[in-house]
Amino acid sequence: MTAWLELRGIKRSFGAIHALQGVDLTVNHGEIIGLVGENGAGKSTLVKIMSGFDADFEGEFLVDGKPAKLGSPQNANAIGIAIAQQELSLIPTMTVAENIFLGHNRGPGVCLLSTLADLSRPLLEQVGLANLSPTTPVRRLSIGERHLVEVARLIAHEPQLLILDEPTAALGESDSRRILAMAQHLKEQGKSIVYVSHRMNEIFKITDRCAVLRDGRSEATVPSRELNTDKLVALMLGRELGAMFPEKPGAPNPVARFKVERLRADRLQSPVSFEIRCGEILGIAGQLGSGSGEILATLAGARKAHGGALYDMTTGKSRLPASPRQAIRRKIAYCSPDRKHDGLFLGRPIMENLSAPNLKKISTMGLLRAPPERGQANDIAKTFTIDAGRLDQEASVLSGGNQQKVALGKWLSIEPELILVDEPTRGVDVGARAEIYAKIRALANQGAAVVIASTDLLEISNLPDRVITFFKGVRTGELAGGEITSDGILRLITNPEPTGFGASAIPQAS
Amino acid sequence: MNTALAGGGVDARGFMQRHGVKVFVAAVVLLFVYFAATTPNYLTLFNVKTIIRDAALVGIMGIGLTFVTLSGNFFLLSMKETAALCIIAFALGMANDYGFVISLAGALAIAVFTGAIQGALIGIGGNPIVVTLGAAGILYGVASWWSDNLVISYPRPHDAEWLGTGSVLGVPNITIAFIVIAVIAELALRKTVFGRQVYLIGANRSTGKATGHENLSMAIKVCIVASVCCAFVAVAFSAQLSSAQANYFSSEFGSSGDFTILVIATVMVGGNSIMGGYGSTLRTSLGAIFISSVDNLMVLKGFASGARVLSVGLMIVFSIIAFAYLRRGRRSEG
Repeated sequence: MTAWLELRGIKRSFGAIHALQGVDLTVNHGEIIGLVGENGAGKSTLVKIMSGFDADFEGEFLVDGKPAKLGSPQNANAIGIAIAQQELSLIPTMTVAENIFLGHNRGPGVCLLSTLADLSRPLLEQVGLANLSPTTPVRRLSIGERHLVEVARLIAHEPQLLILDEPTAALGESDSRRILAMAQHLKEQGKSIVYVSHRMNEIFKITDRCAVLRDGRSEATVPSRELNTDKLVALMLGRELGAMFPEKPGAPNPVARFKVERLRADRLQSPVSFEIRCGEILGIAGQLGSGSGEILATLAGARKAHGGALYDMTTGKSRLPASPRQAIRRKIAYCSPDRKHDGLFLGRPIMENLSAPNLKKISTMGLLRAPPERGQANDIAKTFTIDAGRLDQEASVLSGGNQQKVALGKWLSIEPELILVDEPTRGVDVGARAEIYAKIRALANQGAAVVIASTDLLEISNLPDRVITFFKGVRTGELAGGEITSDGILRLITNPEPTGFGASAIPQAS
Repeated sequence: MNTALAGGGVDARGFMQRHGVKVFVAAVVLLFVYFAATTPNYLTLFNVKTIIRDAALVGIMGIGLTFVTLSGNFFLLSMKETAALCIIAFALGMANDYGFVISLAGALAIAVFTGAIQGALIGIGGNPIVVTLGAAGILYGVASWWSDNLVISYPRPHDAEWLGTGSVLGVPNITIAFIVIAVIAELALRKTVFGRQVYLIGANRSTGKATGHENLSMAIKVCIVASVCCAFVAVAFSAQLSSAQANYFSSEFGSSGDFTILVIATVMVGGNSIMGGYGSTLRTSLGAIFISSVDNLMVLKGFASGARVLSVGLMIVFSIIAFAYLRRGRRSEG
């Protein structure tokens, strides 16, 4: 049997950087291929080439054994390749049906919404949205549903190969399950899928084979059933990864450093109180929309509080910071889940990113002084294993993992006492992930009080010393020490369904 | 079976992406050299000094506006109206014998006040274009009303002449002021906390806020800087002419049309990012000199003023396209 699609020796360079140095890949009918690799391994470059957005490559491209011409999204479409990107291209104010047929110019010039709705129903059925009315405006849909609509729109063109680029990166547990079910369904219909994801459990659950990229080369293509986390990570890194999660200290400090009293934040149904201790990592677990992220943002002054207090047990201050500026003055650091939005200055040098929160420290009388700025940047770069030779480059050149290290590392400049991190490793590859976990633990060990919020069950059940759980704005429990298990957390952060869901959906700690 | 697959058109596009800006700049330079060499009296020391002197007034205002643009607050459309109000205030001061220092202080005070108000409105979320368009109407109205739309003149000799027409070793003082202001502005951007904040907030306002740098105080500061530059230009211009009228900076007067558009052109032709966070006042200064060179060339070639206004418009459009292309090429290598 010949493969439907075959890539041979794909190469791509950006100036002196060889992003791809000979990648081979075959895709058969009715199979899901996991495309995995660290950030910077060349996944996104390969995806861009396959979907026709990048024409400047070398190498062969065969469809059904015959050479095919790629080089523009139109050509890719004609061959039968479609891509669902991380950034959605739906228009929120239009209906689902209108979005699906946006840009289609077949059929009559005038089209009734009801006709479009009828045409879109079978497509919605295919992606598991049979119950969704095609006349609903897209803005009313959850992010997960929007992803599914995007896919419905792509399969209207009847592609043979669908590339899903981190479709679940921004999704909670239940939306992710719908995406996985949709992929399985399309596979059963004979479609091929290239699935790009950092989430190991998804890769194992739905893919048939895994294509591993490392440093721009195809390292191996391995049947997924022969893989486990350790093997896959070793293939991606080219070495064995030590422990993913750092050791927890034996007995955490029981003394409260900060006390959150009757906090009323967006999405919270009732006021919340809890304490944060020195040297401890507190986890706030909850799905998207549970209010967990809002708690962190409110404590950091990035969101308006509706009431409550944040007692600093050392200084005696009790008011919630009204702005990030006030929070910084109180040595409170906050990383939002979206580092590109408000965690980084992408167009500015890495060094300026690292010194931004505390320009006072590197200046006298309003004049910047270069030596302390570089010294501080070197120190942070060393702590967070950022390449010191790249400090003068723009932050945008860094991979996701290194960007996250900069977004987090910049807060060292204020010598933070309370560190709030929402989604510490979103879009971060496995190697950088372990490093970031280790740094967060190191900050706690140095005496900082750390709070993380996460929708990633694996990290929220393995990194923190204590976990508070939320479901739809209501606090549902608190777990500490040995009580913290991913099953236990999952039960507390999801609506208990009568049927329950497969244990296979629950990631286990590696 | 390699890049040939992608087709010839793509190769040409690839070439343009890599070298497009070089080709563009080379073409402009060649064209310029050709015309400069074939135009009598163009490349004389006297004419070069004229070019830089002509660039000075619009260049100083451009430097002020650069702070606004770099900080991500787009443009002030009230540049020439601010200058109009300041020139009236200064000339009234001079005509009523308050002397240079007090008249200058009056013009600067008005600039600080009007700049601060516009900055505050922008900082709390007002659209810079709308806010300053409104401000432009108000400022010009006040200037026109206050002066009864008449020419206010004051007799020479007066104690502002050194700024208007004076020179040191043959270099006009206004040229020296332009150079000094350009150097100070560039140092302020690169070496001070304020300058760093301009770049950071311009690069990403949300991250700026999250790291404690709020746009409200920034918008007020940069609008004051821009307005003060307008006031200084107004004072120098009035000192040169020993008079003032509200419409001195409007299209009826002056050589190449609307002063605000000229000022915006210096920022754009210099290649500063419209979205902020990238650029420098040095670029603006060079932009001003380039525009002045082209304008001067066209005068010597005998073009009518309409053609010269058109050339400024074309320079804005082409520079936006060229620099957008350049930056896209730079980013895609990430």
